Amino acid sequence: MPEVVVSIGPQHPALKEPVNFKVIADGEKIVRLELDLSYNHRGIEKAAEQRDFIRVIPLLERVCGICSHSHATVFSKGIEEIMGLEIPPRAQYIRTIIAELERMHSHLLWLGVAAHVIGFNTLFMWTWRDREAVQDTLEEMSGNRVHYGMNEIGGVRRDLTPAQVEAALSRLPALEERIRKYVEMVNSEETMLIRFRGVGTMSREEALKYGAVGPTARASGVDYDVRRDDPYLAYAEVPWNVITDTRGDVYGRTRVRIGELWESTQIVRSCLENIPAGPIRVDTPKKAPKGEILSRYEAPRGELAHFIRTNGTDRVERVDIRTPTLANWTSVAVCLVNQNIADIPVIVAAIDPCLSCTSRLTVVNREGSPVVAVNRVLPVKRDPDSGEDKERR
Amino acid sequence: MTDPVFILLYIFLFPGFFFLIAYALVLAYLDRKIAARMQQRVGPPFYQPFADLLKMLGKEVINPDGVDWRVFDAIPLVALAAVMTAYLYVPIIGYSPFAFPGDLVVVLYLMALPTIALFLLGWLSRNIFSAIGGIRAVTQLFIYEVPFFLALLTPAIMAGSWSISEIVVWQQHNLWIVFFQPIGFIVALIGLQAKLERTPFDIPEAETEIVAGPWTELTGRRLAVMDLTLDISLVVGSALVAALFLGGPLVPWTLSPPWLNSIAGFLLFLAKTLSVLLILSSIKVATGRIRIDQLNDIGWKYIASAAVVQVGIVLVINYLWVTP
Amino acid sequence: MTRLVTPEMITERMKEFGTVEQVRKNRIRIKTVPEKIHDAITTAQAMLGFDRLITISTADNGETFELLYHLIGSHRLIISLSVDLPRDHPVTPTVSDILLPAGIYERQIHDLFGIMFEGNSNLKKIILNEDWPGNEYPLRKDWKPGPDVFYGGIKVERT
Repeated sequence: MPEVVVSIGPQHPALKEPVNFKVIADGEKIVRLELDLSYNHRGIEKAAEQRDFIRVIPLLERVCGICSHSHATVFSKGIEEIMGLEIPPRAQYIRTIIAELERMHSHLLWLGVAAHVIGFNTLFMWTWRDREAVQDTLEEMSGNRVHYGMNEIGGVRRDLTPAQVEAALSRLPALEERIRKYVEMVNSEETMLIRFRGVGTMSREEALKYGAVGPTARASGVDYDVRRDDPYLAYAEVPWNVITDTRGDVYGRTRVRIGELWESTQIVRSCLENIPAGPIRVDTPKKAPKGEILSRYEAPRGELAHFIRTNGTDRVERVDIRTPTLANWTSVAVCLVNQNIADIPVIVAAIDPCLSCTSRLTVVNREGSPVVAVNRVLPVKRDPDSGEDKERR
Repeated sequence: MTDPVFILLYIFLFPGFFFLIAYALVLAYLDRKIAARMQQRVGPPFYQPFADLLKMLGKEVINPDGVDWRVFDAIPLVALAAVMTAYLYVPIIGYSPFAFPGDLVVVLYLMALPTIALFLLGWLSRNIFSAIGGIRAVTQLFIYEVPFFLALLTPAIMAGSWSISEIVVWQQHNLWIVFFQPIGFIVALIGLQAKLERTPFDIPEAETEIVAGPWTELTGRRLAVMDLTLDISLVVGSALVAALFLGGPLVPWTLSPPWLNSIAGFLLFLAKTLSVLLILSSIKVATGRIRIDQLNDIGWKYIASAAVVQVGIVLVINYLWVTP
Repeated sequence: MTRLVTPEMITERMKEFGTVEQVRKNRIRIKTVPEKIHDAITTAQAMLGFDRLITISTADNGETFELLYHLIGSHRLIISLSVDLPRDHPVTPTVSDILLPAGIYERQIHDLFGIMFEGNSNLKKIILNEDWPGNEYPLRKDWKPGPDVFYGGIKVERT
């Protein structure tokens, strides 16, 4: 067959969120790739400049459904550092617990999606069923399955009662059992192995050169993890390990994520058992002093960086969000050349794309008049959740 | 047996087309229910495939731009006709009234038609995903058809006849052929899974890669007919494997009133096809999809060689024990 | 690379490119000019072990646009190289030839702020839809959506 252009997206069963790849393929091998990320752009960075510190946190939470707590935490942590506030330890622990629970639900979701992408629906059904245990815990603690709303500048908004701690601890052993089973399955299930091994391989030099972050990079042996390099929240006090792998292919990334899943259960258990008593917030000034900060955080998909600049008022002057998926796209575009069309969904799913994080600007609000729809895929809403159908409410 | 009323009843009512469609829907339900229970889900209620069929028949048919809609309408019907005809030669309650020497070859030929139909549909929809899917369907056909044919012809060699009903009678006087040819049985099951395009061989219809492959542009009654074709293929395929390897609908002893014999045979037929379905469903649930180039590898290296080995073994057994 | 890199070493080496200040225990901010940014990054990569670009941040300071290149290395120290571009002529040389990930960030910044990166031939629209009107750069402070401009996508009736 001569070269054909296969347009994957914006609507395609392989993609959980709208993105457009134009794949120029020769038979089943990919020759070239063009990328278009504009479909989930909602204008969050510009909208954030017009809200004060109480209102901007829910907005930033809604950058993404799966990593909502990441965005809220990294922003709060940055502003607190600019203001010079010291957060009480109980608040740090609560934030850590929610962060690690979020990582667990995200990785279980990813495992299901990766299995679904290769047609292995059984694992998809099993992992999403186990994810319900995590979602139940999160719902008990925060009232919602996603978009927890736990953070505010100066601490957390809700406390954990002993009953909730008890209930969360009681769910952990069953989860650990299932995770052990998934480790075994991933290492021995033949069809998964032949679809994942050797696909989308990236060496350590390439991972550094193309700027990959998160489990995608750690699977290639790049040993970056913000929780260890620049400790924040309670990560310095809780024992845990960074998981890396040397294979660099999709199988390596699977192993890294399952390893991190296990580590997260240990961190959650450790935090729940040792949570210190005390207040959960401190009083904050209304206005932030002038300053700037680069606040980094290890979201489930990789390193999330917020660059925040304040100007002495009660709003931010600029918040510049660099999400892990944006950093990983270059490596996807490079890994896909010379692979088969059948591997496109596998390689794209292996970086765990979260396109709502990646494109953040579409809705433009004018005072008193209806909003102008700029994005042709999504209808316009004031507080949009992206077209993500992974979210279950 | 040439009574025209009897023939018509056989063809259309029982065990003809009416029973065929009903049984196809029952097997589709069981397949989905077994898969669901294995995946810790609840699964559909028993009338679900029937409801799906009725719903699909009533839906709007969309003709893509520039596509010849008459051909699009005709191709699924041709595929359906092919598998329904193939069904008539497979023994259900005993000796099939249409049996003749060579009907095994006819059945195998007719069962290959749905795949060709999918290829044509893929090619004629002016859609890159369908074209890729159609090409994959035909590639898959080339890969699994050789071992599948070989595995289904070895019972014929052993029984000394090219008629399915004769092979079933042979098994009544000797053991079931599966005890002589276990490798052949396994290869036949793998080939059947590939023919029905079920995981791990659902490459032409890879939902997450090429939308729906050649099924993308099928809508409304065309989709209903094509779905029914695949369901009926499941029945015919399981019945064929059950007849050739598991002894078909004849009991190893003859019961005195002939109608009791027929009923017992029929119940055995149901049991055997259900067990074949159970095996196929388990394979479907327990695996993921492989790539077409990996199928090429595995198909020629392992499955085809196993089939050839089986043919060799059967020829040796035949020469030494069966024929003299 | 196990050579120990300390903040003092970085300050020493990067002094030639502009003013250096340590803003945080592990982050050093260097203010430089667009002409020197290429050499500054090359020096940081080669001599000081900064092998990864975290991001390129932008800010609109009224009369100037400020670009910050944040780099990190395995020694876990971060440098932020800051350049100021005049508002009426926001042009700067690209760094995507020495830092490949910069390509995607420069494309995004070009879409949102209108900053031109010389040498980057791939400045197509990435984050705004392809029929966004040419001269509207949404993230500039003075940008408001025009009442009669069509921004591509679906037309919405004013009710």
